[in-house]
Amino acid sequence: MTTRLTGLLLVLPALAMVLLFFILPLSASVIGAFEVETGFGLANFVKAFDFYSQDMLFTLVIVCLSTVLIGLLAIAIGGYLTLGENPRAVAILRNLYRWPMFIPFIVVGQVMRTFLAKNGLMNSTLAASGLIDPAQAVSLLDWRGIVIAFVWKQTPFVALLVAGSMASLDRGTIEAARNLGASRLRILVEIVVPQVARTIMVGLILSFVTMMSVLSVPLMINAQSPTMLTADIAFRINAYGDYGTANALGTISLVMSAAAALIYLRMTLRERS
Amino acid sequence: MKIVLKAALATGLLASPATAAELTVLTAGDQNMVDYVNEYLAPLFEEQNPGNTVRVVGTGPGDAGSQKIVERSEAQGKANAETWDYDVAVVHEKFVGPLVKAGYLEQYRDRISTGKLVTRANADMALGTDVKGYVMPMFNSQTALAYNPALVSNPPKSYEELVNWAKENPGKFGYNGIKGGASGVSFVMGWIYAFGEGDANKLMNGPFEEAETKKWDGALASLKDFTTNAQLTPGNAGTLDMLSRGEIAIGPVWVDMFYSWQANGQLPPEFKLVLPEPGMPGQPMHYVIPSKATDVKLAEKFVELATSPKVQAEGIVERFSWYPGIDAQHVQAELEPASWNKLFTDVTPEDLAKNGKPFPIAPYNSAILEAYERSVSN
Repeated sequence: MTTRLTGLLLVLPALAMVLLFFILPLSASVIGAFEVETGFGLANFVKAFDFYSQDMLFTLVIVCLSTVLIGLLAIAIGGYLTLGENPRAVAILRNLYRWPMFIPFIVVGQVMRTFLAKNGLMNSTLAASGLIDPAQAVSLLDWRGIVIAFVWKQTPFVALLVAGSMASLDRGTIEAARNLGASRLRILVEIVVPQVARTIMVGLILSFVTMMSVLSVPLMINAQSPTMLTADIAFRINAYGDYGTANALGTISLVMSAAAALIYLRMTLRERS
Repeated sequence: MKIVLKAALATGLLASPATAAELTVLTAGDQNMVDYVNEYLAPLFEEQNPGNTVRVVGTGPGDAGSQKIVERSEAQGKANAETWDYDVAVVHEKFVGPLVKAGYLEQYRDRISTGKLVTRANADMALGTDVKGYVMPMFNSQTALAYNPALVSNPPKSYEELVNWAKENPGKFGYNGIKGGASGVSFVMGWIYAFGEGDANKLMNGPFEEAETKKWDGALASLKDFTTNAQLTPGNAGTLDMLSRGEIAIGPVWVDMFYSWQANGQLPPEFKLVLPEPGMPGQPMHYVIPSKATDVKLAEKFVELATSPKVQAEGIVERFSWYPGIDAQHVQAELEPASWNKLFTDVTPEDLAKNGKPFPIAPYNSAILEAYERSVSN
């Protein structure tokens, strides 16, 4: 009995922290989404869909597209680190790919804003090297800019997880396939990726949720319409002090993130059963 | 040892002059607002009131900054705080009304000597709320279209002409929508004044009628169409940035930002401004003092200094190219004609009188923004 009590006491501070700083604000925000002047209702959600339905779709498409690209690039990087045959190229890649991970989102936004602008660094370089005509330069500071920033920033994180997991694979399977004459691409797709699929999913779902919550990148690259829900939430609060609609938008993005988590949970459950 | 420490502490406490106080000034707006107080106003005030210090806190650009000041006041008002954590605040016009209505502010204008130097209507009414006596305007600002004469030889003089110009030159007009600062908001309000079916004067002066908000559908539909030919910029500064890089040829900007960027060399000197018909809005920033300020008298002194003709001439007009807050004739007397005229190089006083408009009163203001979100950006 006493040991059970001590156990409870020991877990209490952590539990209190979770309750006080996570569950409480979260439920306040979700409840706030349903609060209207006359009590409870769906008015905030009606307004949110009325104003921002396009932005909801936009957010979902951007984040899904980024997640897919991140997955492909992370597998490519991890695959080369595991199967690459040129030791120098592997060493260079290993040392370089992690850098973006240590750069905050707001700095990524700032860097991309000057890099991708119509007359920004990228187009100026291309124009100077004669690859494009300055007149046809286009600005990438729209949805493409956001996708580029997200992929650039999140790929190293997923690649780090994936590469670690690939490195710990039993090399016997890879070598057996190679002995039988399989190409490296085929080994990657048929032998390596299936074995690390769960790690890839974990990395991608964490990235998905992170990207759902980023405000700085859409704000700096494309705060106009259509934009991501985070920018709309900030705008509702900053310009109108309208916490109701902001909470409704927050709840909607929570549902999107929860859907991703649910897919993941069902997948792992199926694997275990 | 202990005694020595105690003695040192005691002398330290006694040595500070009895009147010393720290005046906290909150200011909404871009970094230039903070710089203005830090680099110019605070040193001047500290010199004239020895022993007192001024601490300035910027609350962020645009309406969001003022909204924070309102929320901070509400929090302290509801908590029945004895003294508030700020003594003077600089807020946008739209947020003065709610502060006055909530009874948070001191009616101080008649008590300070510069109070009678202000007669402009927007110091008495703020977007439909009577605020007479509660505010002193820090400066007046105006939006206009900035353009690059190399790309626009014959600038549009009205919204109508602008629409035609943008059709002929797709992608060369840029504005920052309504989420990235007030110059875009101002452009949208001007659009409703120009093309809305209702009476623009009613929007500016009230009263608020629900029926009026139904008269903008046509104007908003045409704005949506217009926006497909326009570029959306990331903010007030973003529009100026894109202008200077030649990515757009024309766009709405704040007149003071335009002049100060030009003075800093961030914009080419040949760029020009035009204030199109039937007009674009401008607004004052106001000094307000909460009734629960720690030291209302000292706060009044600060505002008195800030709105004195000399400071308005040197600080507001010369340094920052803002239009003065107090009546122009008092300020003009303090300045060389050349510095005064610099304010009116492109936009003449006649243009200002004719096409410088106030923003719509608060309820119309919010209704237009929401209608824009519903029909233009969604």
